[in-house]
Amino acid sequence: MHMKKECIAMLLAGGQGSRLCALTSKVAKPAVPFGGKYRIIDFPLSNCVNSGIDTVGVLTQYQPLELSSYIGIGQPWDLDRTLGGVHILPPYVREGSKGTWYKGTANAIYQNMGFIAQFDPDYVLVLSGDHIYKMDYSVLLAHHKRSKAACTISVLEVPMEEASRFGIMNVDKEDFIYEFEEKPKKPKSNLASMGIYCFTWKKLRQYLIADEANPASSNDFGGDVIPAMLSAGEKISAYRFSGYWKDVGTIVSLWDANMDMLSVRSGVRLYDDTWPVYCRTPTMPPQLIGSGAVISHSLVTCGSEVYGKVENSVLFHSVRVEPGAEIRYSILMPGAVVESGAVVEYAILAENTKVGTGAHVGASPDQTPAEDWGVTVLGSGVAVPGGGTVPPKAMLEQTEKEGIR
Amino acid sequence: MNNLHGILFAYHCNPRLRELTEHRTTSSIPFGGRYRIIDFMLSSYVNAGITDVGVILHESYQSLLDHLGSGKNWDLSRIRGGLKILPPFAYAKKRDGGKFRGEMEALAGVYTYLQQIHQDYVILGTGDLVANLPVGDIFKAHLDSGADITAVCVRPPVGEPEYTTYFSIGPNGLVSDVSCGGGNSLPYESLDVYILSKSLLLSLTDYCASHNLYGFSKDVLQNMGGTLSISPYIFQGYAARIQSSAAYYAKSMELFSPKVRSSLFHADHPIRTKVRSDPSTYYGPEAKPRNCLAADGCIIEGEVENSILFRGVRIEKDVRVKNCILLQDTVIRSGAILNCVIADKDVVINQGRMLMGHDSYPLVLAKDSVI
Repeated sequence: MHMKKECIAMLLAGGQGSRLCALTSKVAKPAVPFGGKYRIIDFPLSNCVNSGIDTVGVLTQYQPLELSSYIGIGQPWDLDRTLGGVHILPPYVREGSKGTWYKGTANAIYQNMGFIAQFDPDYVLVLSGDHIYKMDYSVLLAHHKRSKAACTISVLEVPMEEASRFGIMNVDKEDFIYEFEEKPKKPKSNLASMGIYCFTWKKLRQYLIADEANPASSNDFGGDVIPAMLSAGEKISAYRFSGYWKDVGTIVSLWDANMDMLSVRSGVRLYDDTWPVYCRTPTMPPQLIGSGAVISHSLVTCGSEVYGKVENSVLFHSVRVEPGAEIRYSILMPGAVVESGAVVEYAILAENTKVGTGAHVGASPDQTPAEDWGVTVLGSGVAVPGGGTVPPKAMLEQTEKEGIR
Repeated sequence: MNNLHGILFAYHCNPRLRELTEHRTTSSIPFGGRYRIIDFMLSSYVNAGITDVGVILHESYQSLLDHLGSGKNWDLSRIRGGLKILPPFAYAKKRDGGKFRGEMEALAGVYTYLQQIHQDYVILGTGDLVANLPVGDIFKAHLDSGADITAVCVRPPVGEPEYTTYFSIGPNGLVSDVSCGGGNSLPYESLDVYILSKSLLLSLTDYCASHNLYGFSKDVLQNMGGTLSISPYIFQGYAARIQSSAAYYAKSMELFSPKVRSSLFHADHPIRTKVRSDPSTYYGPEAKPRNCLAADGCIIEGEVENSILFRGVRIEKDVRVKNCILLQDTVIRSGAILNCVIADKDVVINQGRMLMGHDSYPLVLAKDSVI
C-alpha cells in the first residue's frame, strides 16, 4: 500500500511534567485538563489537522493510560484515517530484550524511525505536548522549504529582560541560527525556541543515528541534536511566530494560561471557528445556572450546576457549586464539588475533588505576605472536610487511605 | 440484548410545530439545549444494547441526515448492522410520493429491510418522544408476559388527544380497550413504543398492505385487539410528546424541574448526541444569568432568565432575555429585549429590538431570520 506523506508530525507526550506535581501524579502532562473543555494535547493535535497534517505519532511513556484512552482512534480530531491518522507510540522491547525507555526526546524519535519510514515523508515536524497556541504548520513548512534548511525552529520574540528564562536562538541577517544558548545569563537575542521543529527527514534521520551512536549524548533535541547540526554547519532557519503561545509546565503558568482563556476576544481565541480547537466532548446535559447564582468573567462547561458565586474562574464539566459557595480566580476540573458556604480562591481543584461545607481553600495575594502566597492545588480525588482550611501555596494529594475509601 | 432490533419512525413533520418543522422533521427538532428529539429514543435503544437501528424517513430529512451522520455518536457505525437510514424508495414508486398515512404503510415501504432483520424481536418507536426509556426492562417484561405485543404507556396524559392512543387495562392485566384519534376517555396513554416479534411484525405488515390498512393504533391495536394479546408496560419516569409549538415550549421549560432532569439525564444511561467541539460557555463581567440551561460555546454578556440556550448563542451587553429558547448560534445584539421567544438556528436579533410572545403562544422565529 502506498502511504507516501509529504509531512508527518511526531508529538512528544511522554513527559512527566514533574513541576505540575499533584496534577500529574496520575496522568501525563499533555492529558492535564485545560481551559474548561480541553486537555493540553488538543492544541497541537488540532493545529495538525487544521494545517492539513493527517499523520501524527504521539510518543507516550509516563502514565499513558488516560492519554491513550483520551486520544483513542483520534475521531474527535478527524484523525481516524485509513491511511495515516493518529498513532500512539509507546516504548517497546526489541529482539534480544534490547529496546529501552525513551532516554530523551531525540531517542524517542530514534526508536520510532520505523514508524516514520512507513510514510516515506520529506519532512517531519517534532512538536511538544505542553504548549497552548494556534499555529498553521503549513506556513512553517513553506518557510522551511523556502529557506532550504535542514531544520527550522519556530521562535517567539520575548521581552529582552525575560530572555534568560528561555532557550535563545542567535540568528544572522537572514534568520539562520548560528548559536543556541539554553537560559543564557546575558542573552544576545530575544528569539526564544518554542520547542517546535520542522526537519528535512533525510537530515533528521542522519543526525538521529549519529546521536544514538554517541555514548556521551543525552539524546535530547535542544541539548544534543541541534548543537550537533550547528557544529556540522547545517543550515538551521528560525521561523518567527507571532501570536499567543504559552508553556504550561508549572502550576503558576498553568493557572495563568487558564486565566488567559477568559479574555475570549484575545489570546488564543478559542471561539474563532476558522481555527477550531477540537476535543473529546463528554456526553453531558447542558449546564444549569440556578436562580441564586452569580457568575461573572468565567467559563462554565456542560454537566455543571452552579448555584453559588463564581468570579474569574474556569469550570470544567460536571462541576457543582452549591448555594452560598464562592469561587474566585480558580480552576475547577471535571467533577469538582464545592459545598455550600465554602470559599475557593486562587486554587486549582483537580478532577473529582470535594470542598466541604464552609471550608476555605487558597487565599488572595492581597491578604497574604508575598513570600507565603501561591496557587493552592488539590490533587485528584482530594476531599477537604467541612470547615477545613487549605492555605495558599499548599499542594494536597490523595493519600492511600482516602484512595481505598 | 442483541435479539432486539430498533425501528424509529422519523418521518413525521407535525404542522402544529409551525416554523420549527419548516425545514426538518419533528424528530430532528433541537431540544433541551444540545439534543435533537430523536436522540432520546436512539440513546434509549443503544443504552439497552441494541446494535441495529432502522430510521424510517419520508421528507425534509436533510437536517436529520446531517445530525445522524454515520451513527458514530451513538456507536452505531458498524460493519455489520448499525444505523440504517430508510428513505421511502419502495413506497414512492407505488403512490407517487404522497405522505405515509400511518406506521404500517411506512413499514410496508421498507418491507425488504424488515425481512433481513436477523433479530427475533423488534421495537417500534416514534420520533417525537422525549424520554429516557429502560428498553432493556421493557424487553424483559415483554418476554416474561408472553404477550403478542407490549405497549409502553404512562398514566398522566402527556400528548395532544388528537394524535394520541389511549388504553384501558382489563382484570387480566392486558389492554382491554384502545381508543385513538378522538377524546381522551381511557386512563392510560400510549407512548407509541411497541415490542413484538419479527414474525408477527412481518405478517401484520403483509396483512395491512394487502387490505389497504395503514395505522398501527387503529388498524392493528384497535381492530385486531380481539385476536392479539397486548401487554401494557407502565413507564413511571418523565415522558413528553412534542406535537405543537406550545407543547415544545412547555416541555422545554419543564427541564428546569430537577425531577424531570434526573429522569431524563443519568450518567449510566446518557443521552448521546452529535458532538461539536465547542469551547466552554463564557459569562462576561456584566452577565446576569439566572435559572438558565446553557449548552457550551455561548458568550453571554447580558441578562438571561428562565431560558434555554443552545450551542454557540451570543448574548451581547444590555440584552434582556426572559423565558426564551434560543437555538444554535442565535445572536442577540445589544439592547434587545425578548420574552417568550423561540428563536430557531442562526437567528439574528439586531440592536434594540423588542420581541414579546406569551407562554401559551410563544413567538417562533424561523431559521436564519434577521429581525
